[in-house]
Amino acid sequence: MNDNNDRFGYESLAFFGRVNASISHELKNVMAIISETAGLLSDLSDMASSGAPVAPDMLKDCTLSIVEEIQRGFSVIRQMNRFSHSIDHPVESVDLMDVLDLSIYLSSYLSFAGKVDVRPYDGPAPMVVTCPFLLQAIVYQSLADAFKKIRAGSEVTISVAGSTDEKGWKILFSGFGPGELEGFPDALLKTMATSIGVAIDWDNRADRLEIFVPMTIDKGSLSES
Amino acid sequence: MKVLLVDDEQKFALMLSKRLELRGIPAKVFFSGEKALAEVEAGSRFDVAVLDVKMPGIGGVELKSRLSAVDPEMKFVFLTGHGSGTDYETGCLEAGDCLPKPLKIEQLIEALNRLVPDA
Repeated sequence: MNDNNDRFGYESLAFFGRVNASISHELKNVMAIISETAGLLSDLSDMASSGAPVAPDMLKDCTLSIVEEIQRGFSVIRQMNRFSHSIDHPVESVDLMDVLDLSIYLSSYLSFAGKVDVRPYDGPAPMVVTCPFLLQAIVYQSLADAFKKIRAGSEVTISVAGSTDEKGWKILFSGFGPGELEGFPDALLKTMATSIGVAIDWDNRADRLEIFVPMTIDKGSLSES
Repeated sequence: MKVLLVDDEQKFALMLSKRLELRGIPAKVFFSGEKALAEVEAGSRFDVAVLDVKMPGIGGVELKSRLSAVDPEMKFVFLTGHGSGTDYETGCLEAGDCLPKPLKIEQLIEALNRLVPDA
């Protein structure tokens, strides 16, 4: 294994770790709410046992809160499962909108996550043959950096468009102020992107991040990079 | 004892404040560090602040130093959903009492009574 492969291996693993850390934090929050609510129910039960009046609405609110948090927990686990399976096949055909959808879910668990508006793609599903796991990592990291650098309260708008040469698709991130994401990506992410033929560019004129994804990856490029 | 409770997980903060209230400890709840800081800067005084470590905007450890600058007498308890390694990274453990989530209410009460024994 050469140095580049070592680095991609570590970067990919680091991405997997970062996502799992944020998922576990989200699940801990869910469990913490369920735990506090169960604790409150226990307090209310003790009160009722000692003859103190307990408002039925409080019991109802507690039950509803537990049901809602269990649903939230299931939703997090569903996304965790989708993410885990994104590494099943090194190269496969994927819908870019699915990649975006999962990236947005996963990035929403970051403590500094901001608002995202995804514009639906008006046309047949934008399919690419790529490495879904690395593409996921690139989109996720782009979103994470966007959240860190965009003005407080602003929204990242994401859209997908065909590239003018019809050789791929462009994922467009907008909503930034002048130069807000300039300097992104760092060398490691750029190298990871290059390994699957993806190009990340900051458009100075439009203050927009463009991620070019080729229609088809060169299947040998992953092992050769 | 006057308690300031700051956590961006709104349901968690509200449930915890109800449980504290049932134990005779009223807590004023804020869902962001910025709003809690503004309240203290506007003149509100609290004996102890219970702060979530990881929050969007001002996190718990930074909030502690900014609240301390306004009110040097204020005591602090941190709540964290992370593992111990991350707690060291965020400075939570160095900064004071640090309780893990999910929380044991008795541990929090014990910490509050220890920090503000005369209340």
